[in-house]
Amino acid sequence: MSAPGITGVAYALPARRRSLTELAKLGQLESDSSLLAQFGFDGVYVAEEETPYALALAAATAVLTEHKVPANDVDLLLYCGTSALAFSPRGSAADVARRLATTGRFQYPATRLQYDLGLERASTIALDQLACTSLFAALRLARATIAAGEARRVLCVSAEFFPECAGREAIFNVTADAACAVLVERAAPQNRILSSAVSTKGYYWDADALRNEIVASYFPTAKHVVDETLQRAGWSPHDVTWVIPHNVSVRSWEILLGLVGIPRERLWDHNVARIGHTLAGDNFINLRDAIDDGSVRPGDRLLLFSYGYGAHWTALAVEA
Amino acid sequence: MPATQAILVTGATGLLGRAVLQRLLASDARLRAIVLVRDATRWSGAGLHERVTAVEGDLRSVGLGLTGEVHALIRQQVRAIVHFAADTRFSNPLAQAQAVNTAGTEHLLELAYECTSSVRFAHVSTAFVAGRRTGTIAEELDAPSAGWVNAYEQSKYEAEQLVRRHAADWVIFRPATVVCDDCHGAVSQLNAVHRALRLYRAGLVAMIPGTDRSTIDVVTTDFVAEAIATLALRADAAGCVAHLCAGDGALPLGDLLDMTFAYWARDSEWRRRGIARPPLVDLNTYALFERSIEEVGDPSIKRLTRSLSHFVPQLALPKLFETSTARALLGFGAPPVREFWLRMVEQLFAEGDTALGATRAA
Repeated sequence: MSAPGITGVAYALPARRRSLTELAKLGQLESDSSLLAQFGFDGVYVAEEETPYALALAAATAVLTEHKVPANDVDLLLYCGTSALAFSPRGSAADVARRLATTGRFQYPATRLQYDLGLERASTIALDQLACTSLFAALRLARATIAAGEARRVLCVSAEFFPECAGREAIFNVTADAACAVLVERAAPQNRILSSAVSTKGYYWDADALRNEIVASYFPTAKHVVDETLQRAGWSPHDVTWVIPHNVSVRSWEILLGLVGIPRERLWDHNVARIGHTLAGDNFINLRDAIDDGSVRPGDRLLLFSYGYGAHWTALAVEA
Repeated sequence: MPATQAILVTGATGLLGRAVLQRLLASDARLRAIVLVRDATRWSGAGLHERVTAVEGDLRSVGLGLTGEVHALIRQQVRAIVHFAADTRFSNPLAQAQAVNTAGTEHLLELAYECTSSVRFAHVSTAFVAGRRTGTIAEELDAPSAGWVNAYEQSKYEAEQLVRRHAADWVIFRPATVVCDDCHGAVSQLNAVHRALRLYRAGLVAMIPGTDRSTIDVVTTDFVAEAIATLALRADAAGCVAHLCAGDGALPLGDLLDMTFAYWARDSEWRRRGIARPPLVDLNTYALFERSIEEVGDPSIKRLTRSLSHFVPQLALPKLFETSTARALLGFGAPPVREFWLRMVEQLFAEGDTALGATRAA
């Protein structure tokens, strides 16, 4: 049966990787590094020379090249990421401020990417404000656009950095800089997207003020979204071959898996230690690596779940 | 009972003790009561004082800290002891719980032994002496222990064993958790169930240990007081353990969460906050969650989680309390939980939400 699916994934990481010990010495962690190590983290990639745009271009170029996609055969480019940061080396906050105060604010990464990649037929749409769920939203939008007959091939690109002035920890997760590009096509032979679910709770928009409520709401809402995704795919929790996670604390994943009734050993968690938590698209980076290392095989049933800090919970069911 | 004879009541200042004392005195105009209190100046008999004498004492002390005169009065006049007093804090360390609940009972049993006449020992225990046992819980004393969820349960279990071993004439009452005064739902005294409900409403409960078979067995003060007043002094209750529980009228935990959620969701302001109904989880997953909060939570969420940790694991240990002995003796049973639960919830929040849910405003 044909269905829109993921036909390619590529990602780009900065050159520099820093260990937890280095980050602690630089004062970029809030928690004790031994606690973060218990949660599965080891180090993260930190952009010290690159811009978000440079990584986005590298990831997008890689996916188009690897899959031999002609530049004029992409119908839609969906770009996720904070546009003000896109051209700033290291995500420099000072550079962002300068751009926002000038007509530099109209220099958009989506437009430039369309030009640099030569996607002459592609229209562009940018997505923002969804934290770690942006790339999921792009895929949902791509799937809907394809289903509506308005596109056959959509390129989704996400690039997110933490500004250099920010620390490297968010709610006990160690954060990395990265970019990820995903191709979504109308009749995908593999990695077909069978279902999705999303829950947005605007009440939590002021995440800092409602931190305790957010901690309490994370798990029940995540369970609800996962249950709904599985139900729409016609799967039970035991049907799931692999959970392809966002790279947050492995402990929190163990709790969530206990809640939804999926065995712990089905969590593909190799990249929590290697890469850390990127806002750009952990799940898809992990999907690529899980396919490459032979963990994911054709026909496997994959559950991808992510949470956008504050108000967004989302999941996809994908048949490999 | 002859006019010169009396009952000794501990815990008469509590909601249940007072309600039972009122009923006992109302049922027998000749009955006199001696109430054991920590501070006699704080005792108010609510119109009963003509036949009630307050004496100062401390359950934790050998001899209860009674003066010689009071001790003699009790020895000569008391024909029954109705023992309500307990330290009901679930978070107590074991030694602290035992000091009042176990040693205190032992001290009372010693006093009963010293009385000149045979004394009925009516011991108010708790249904949760069953601790970690699951399945049908019989009205008996011989079931082997499976451990306990908190020190309160253990200390009350140990007290029951002392009663059986040392009292000549005893009856043991095991009430479920009392959550409201009567079927109209008024709440006179807050406990862990009410605190948990407030956290639930405030959106601060991430998950609850439980299974599909878990139930909530809660009762009204009215029912428990009537049952104890009816049986405390009755000869045919001797040697009986009576579960004062809803039994098969208990509510499945999932139903209770759903109906409470649906009730609150009628309020559009509450509904639009998007608070999720907490899922039921196994004890291992809950323990992992608790451990994580201990490691990374801020002080307030740690405090909230700890406040639940001493009793919520009980929800994952499903039990059905048998009530046939109590029903046969009483001729009536507890009202089904469904009959009063939502009225209780309504009354609990009649004056609006507590500050627990108002962190944004703070």
